[in-house]
Amino acid sequence: MKALYAWMLEFVELPASPEQLRAALSAAGITVDSVEDSPAGPRFEVDLTTNRPDCLGHYGLAREAAAAFRASLKRIQPKLNEVREPAAAATSVTIEAPELCARFTARVIRGVRVGPSPAWLRERLEALGQASINNIVDATNYVMFELGHPLHAFDLDRLAGGCIVVRRARPGERITTLDGIERTLTPEMLVVADAERPQGLAGVMGGAASEIALETKNVLLECAWFDPVSIRRTARALGLRTEASTRFERGMDPEMAELASRRCAELIHELAGGEILAGVVDAYPRPPERQKLLLTRRELLRIMGADVPDREIEAILSALGFAPVRVDETRGRAGSLMAAWECVRPTWRHDVTREIDLIEEVARHYGYDRFPARMPPARQPAQLRPHAEALAELRATLLALGYDEIIASPLVHPDRDALFAPPQCQPVPIANPLSTETSQMRRSGIVSMVDVLEWNLNHGQRNLRLFEFGRSYELHNGQPLERAVLTLGATGLARRKSIHESERAFTFADLKGDLEALGVRVGGFQWESGTPDWLAPEHSARLLCIAGDDLHEIGVAGVLDRHLTSRLKLRQEIFLAELLLEPLCTAYEARRAALRFRELPRFPAVERDLSLLLDQSVRFAQVRDTIRALDLPELVRIEALDRFHGGTIPPGKYSLLVRLTFQSPRATLTDAQVNEFVVRIVEALGQRLSAVLRTV
Amino acid sequence: MTDTRKSLAELGVAEAAQLDALFAALRAEFDRAAAEVHDEAAWEALRVAWVGRKAGRLRQITENWLQPAPPELKRAIGQHLNELRQHIEQTLQQSPALVPAAEPAEQLDLSLPGIERSLGVRHILGQVLDEIQQIFLRIGFTVVDGPEIETPYYNFEALNIPADHPARDMWDTLYVQTPRPGELLLRTHTSPMQIRWMEQHQPPVRIIVPGKVYRHDNPDATHAFAFYQVEGLAVDTDITFCDFRGVMDYFVKEFFGPKVKTRLQPSYFPFTEPSADVYGSCFACQGAGCRLCKQSGWIELCGAGMVDPAVYGFVNYDAKRFSGFAFGMGVERMAMLKYGINDIQLFFQNDVRFLRQFR
Repeated sequence: MKALYAWMLEFVELPASPEQLRAALSAAGITVDSVEDSPAGPRFEVDLTTNRPDCLGHYGLAREAAAAFRASLKRIQPKLNEVREPAAAATSVTIEAPELCARFTARVIRGVRVGPSPAWLRERLEALGQASINNIVDATNYVMFELGHPLHAFDLDRLAGGCIVVRRARPGERITTLDGIERTLTPEMLVVADAERPQGLAGVMGGAASEIALETKNVLLECAWFDPVSIRRTARALGLRTEASTRFERGMDPEMAELASRRCAELIHELAGGEILAGVVDAYPRPPERQKLLLTRRELLRIMGADVPDREIEAILSALGFAPVRVDETRGRAGSLMAAWECVRPTWRHDVTREIDLIEEVARHYGYDRFPARMPPARQPAQLRPHAEALAELRATLLALGYDEIIASPLVHPDRDALFAPPQCQPVPIANPLSTETSQMRRSGIVSMVDVLEWNLNHGQRNLRLFEFGRSYELHNGQPLERAVLTLGATGLARRKSIHESERAFTFADLKGDLEALGVRVGGFQWESGTPDWLAPEHSARLLCIAGDDLHEIGVAGVLDRHLTSRLKLRQEIFLAELLLEPLCTAYEARRAALRFRELPRFPAVERDLSLLLDQSVRFAQVRDTIRALDLPELVRIEALDRFHGGTIPPGKYSLLVRLTFQSPRATLTDAQVNEFVVRIVEALGQRLSAVLRTV
Repeated sequence: MTDTRKSLAELGVAEAAQLDALFAALRAEFDRAAAEVHDEAAWEALRVAWVGRKAGRLRQITENWLQPAPPELKRAIGQHLNELRQHIEQTLQQSPALVPAAEPAEQLDLSLPGIERSLGVRHILGQVLDEIQQIFLRIGFTVVDGPEIETPYYNFEALNIPADHPARDMWDTLYVQTPRPGELLLRTHTSPMQIRWMEQHQPPVRIIVPGKVYRHDNPDATHAFAFYQVEGLAVDTDITFCDFRGVMDYFVKEFFGPKVKTRLQPSYFPFTEPSADVYGSCFACQGAGCRLCKQSGWIELCGAGMVDPAVYGFVNYDAKRFSGFAFGMGVERMAMLKYGINDIQLFFQNDVRFLRQFR
């Protein structure tokens, strides 16, 4: 909100420059973002919080300024020169929806001369961003900016029956508002009507039919109190936010309605002449009771932790209108721990209803920074998040392997998401998205990973190894399910050309090697075929991991299928993997807990290489498992060293070079012993896999 | 030079006491000779002269002094001889003359790079999140996680923000499309975890909640529809505004540096009372006023305050017994301020040229 320095100073005498006032108001929570020059003098840009509708006018701001400087606020005392004839003889007010309208005042001014406003008034309104319309409408706006309470002026002669009926709109009822738009209303909306039809949207905008025109002679001045929720809903439903609706939806002061009306009548008379009929038609069925509040020093100390002197408490609360009175038995004694003040809630402060609210009032004007800083004692050990150590270790492993960490937004394009979503997984769509590109929560981290790879490829970064610790989101039986996932993405070169080495492209074996390195931390993975259709079936695998007593399927890894690479115009082979983090972390922790020292071998290890001729269909895992099945305790390692076909190898066969390492904890193995193991191994491979030993 | 070809008698030695000087002289004589040795041939000559099997000096001592010596001297001579032998053998072994003079090696071009090792980089947001967590862990705050898809109850109602309250405008909300509209939303702040945690735990409470939050905000250099927050909550029988100030001050100094001052300015949040915005003195200009702080000398860091007693009502805490404070800070904002990053969109873009700057 904009506010003028000179206008505020009409209500309080301050020794403060604009900058000093800005600092003092900000320190009390009425944040002034800037002070600028305007034709009407220094202009403040005030960033008001929604709890302070009382500061939506210069008088309210002046009250805060008065409190900040412990100065006194001048009273508003309009002087009306009324004629004998009562307003009640000229109009009547009926409130048919008292639950939405607690007060409605009407004043009548007859015989006005509608015309332009004087320069001083136009200048002020324009400095606040309000266009000048005519002297009557300008007077209502001026008083709204002055006292904070919206008003509306009707052309009394255009009101059927010359009367006001405040009621809910009838279904389908229509009104053309001041902005010239015809609007269809519902019974949730409150209207200010005459005997026949709505003449204004209560608290939001007046109607065009009864607006003040050049030929207007007689004015009915409305100043009322409307229910904040109803105003807010109406303004939302119609997409119509006005100065009036912003004020009413935050809660106006019902007591101010009559005063603002009096002030406005005074101003209209000054600007447009005419005669003010006597009194006000005031429909005010139930004036609210004045709420009493108690502030105790005990509670102030309990919350704030340091004291505020009596005279400061009393000066601040008095300046803000709380009229504090000491009511405790020790009231003669300053600084008493038993001190208690009875306060009366001012009708303009809907936000102050409890002792804690009074404490805030005192604290913010006393100065937050006058309460000394202190550290609370620790009462219990702090804990890390579940799996924090496992996550940190897995992350450190990936960083050491040369993967950069990414953090992506989980809001994605539904079509993209669908490419990688697990089957039977219900998406989480956004009802009011900012764009289609961000209209759904991702069902896998892959969709974000592909986006990020694509972004980098499009920005000239061709060699990428990335990972993300993120979440996937789905609806499971209508309930949200968020799962922690680890996503890997890689493309381009595994090694760049340098003076020392030649370049080498990233391959499936790199991805597998990296995952196996990660696997070492969790007790190893098992690799199985059969992967989702976004991965190339020949170059991808499902990963299983032992977590607890069971083998869990925890993810997939492989090459992005060619139909997607070309559809997404990626032009490079893309390697992807996604693992569920919960079982991965559990496996990490289980392995960690089981770690024990093993005696270092004291006797040398012996290596034997076997060159095997195998059928094309035989996989390395079968060879390994066949050898392991012999259960030779001295066999400590089985490695695949080389693999080739063609040349001297018969068609349908291939040659596999396997290295076996033997070691005994009890003695140096003799040649004879090792030879015996090898014979048994070759025999088993021959029987089970028809493997033939080639001469090396 | 001591002539070891002569007998002890010829040298005039008859008592054990004279042996010390005799052997010291021999040792000095060897050391002088050894110091002159610079190549393998000289070394070999020295070795033969002293420990040669046939006519080395030690051999002579054995034959001429030790063997004929009377029993009362034998023991002492033997001991001296052994010490001398040890010294000589050790010196010979360590002689630099033994190291073969190698062909002069070709000088490496030390300016050439080594073999490139790839080293991954932690996302800058992750680094900042870690740092924030570490600071609060040090003063006893437990780290907890919460769901990002929330109910309006936890995101708003239980935080004292009723439906149709103007304060709801402070959070532009993304809603999940559900059969009944408005049942689920993307949390607009990490504050819902205050409620979830207090529902499950009795005081003392000291937690921080790092995590993603979402807003219906059009993206620009300072706004994002998804970003990170860290929520903090401390509730106990004796937590006051002074403790709140102390903790904010500690955090700001730890994170931005010991010279940065903290200021609290009154503000409004429905779930705190009194409420405050936390400002740090501008670390770019030390408070003098610059572009970063918009000439004010102060930078807004987070929203905070004492927990509003109304919130305790939602979690069945006794508001008369317990008090506490809560705060919420934007992690991107912290990172932007600390590292001078000028566009919030960079964080979720994940351009590796950006990420790798923070290795």
